Amino acid sequence: MTVKALQTLTTGRNGVGAFILQCKKMDIHYCDWAGSSKGMNGFIKSILPKFAAANPQIEFVVSPRPSKHPVVIGHYINGREKAICVRNLEPLQILKKVELLRDASGEKLRKVNKPVQSVNESVRGVWSPYHGNGMAV
Amino acid sequence: MSRALLRSVLELRTPITLLPPAFLLPMPIRLGATSTAAARRFFNQTAQIIEPVPQPPPAATPSPSSSVSAQAQEHLETTFTRESETTTPTTPSTPLDESVRTLLPLLAAQPGHYVTIHIHGRPYLVTEGDSIRLPFKMPGAEPGDILRLNRASVVGSRDYTLQGAPYVDERLFTCRAVVTGTESEPMRVVVKKKRRTRRTTHKFSKLRFTMLRISEVKISDVKEIEG
Repeated sequence: MTVKALQTLTTGRNGVGAFILQCKKMDIHYCDWAGSSKGMNGFIKSILPKFAAANPQIEFVVSPRPSKHPVVIGHYINGREKAICVRNLEPLQILKKVELLRDASGEKLRKVNKPVQSVNESVRGVWSPYHGNGMAV
Repeated sequence: MSRALLRSVLELRTPITLLPPAFLLPMPIRLGATSTAAARRFFNQTAQIIEPVPQPPPAATPSPSSSVSAQAQEHLETTFTRESETTTPTTPSTPLDESVRTLLPLLAAQPGHYVTIHIHGRPYLVTEGDSIRLPFKMPGAEPGDILRLNRASVVGSRDYTLQGAPYVDERLFTCRAVVTGTESEPMRVVVKKKRRTRRTTHKFSKLRFTMLRISEVKISDVKEIEG
């Protein structure tokens, strides 16, 4: 059996020290002509400037996509992306979707049963039957 | 022409795009960090409890620009005080117990600490750097917000444990958490079916959870508490 070096890799703990928003870029696609883009066009005109000013960490890219439904695509630091089709939605409904993309971490959705996730060692150590005063049977 | 005008007006029609007047806002508007934060808060529609940022006293040297930028650097601090009815609020004049005064420095001197914090009555045993997935979406919490968690039932190190009855005095420790975002679970599908009937309905649900990261767990100094 070969001797292996101990592998210790640092794990990212976003928020300890600095906090970095995971959403780095948002693509916003609209169509000038189509009716499903009506709410999106209103969103781009009225709400998006304020939202973009309030979130300077995110790069917003607005581009036309003629004769297609409007789409918002969020790009995340971990390389993944999330796309939401916002056809026929009102501007405030689109705002909710955009907030959802901003707050997301970019990870795949999975069911988690334990509320606390920790990479630290147990503070009080692991109980051992061979140490201490022992147990009275 | 008139149709185009009407259409553009309809597109721009959003009922609450403007902030309510300043006296209706949940927090006083000031220069610097707070006003920008208030503008940011507009995008989340819920009113929230925000700890007032300590205003520096007007210094003799007139340097308003530097003070404003220093304030902008500060994080907005939110106190989580929605379950304050469970304990009597501790006034600063309450003297510390003798055992706490002698043993708290020993607890603080040990390297690792854990805290069992309570959020809406549920306990979470955390150390620094842990992430918590709350079983609900905290209204109004935005990524980057800092919460101060001041309800703890247990504060401990390897050999010492400080047990509260029911909660530890909030002057004895500082626990802060950063809101890292909102996550959700995979879509749940529940099939509703009655016997001897072909009809089925599918019910979909997808819960949202606020994620926190414990950024600071600190045990206070006894001398600082007593002043």
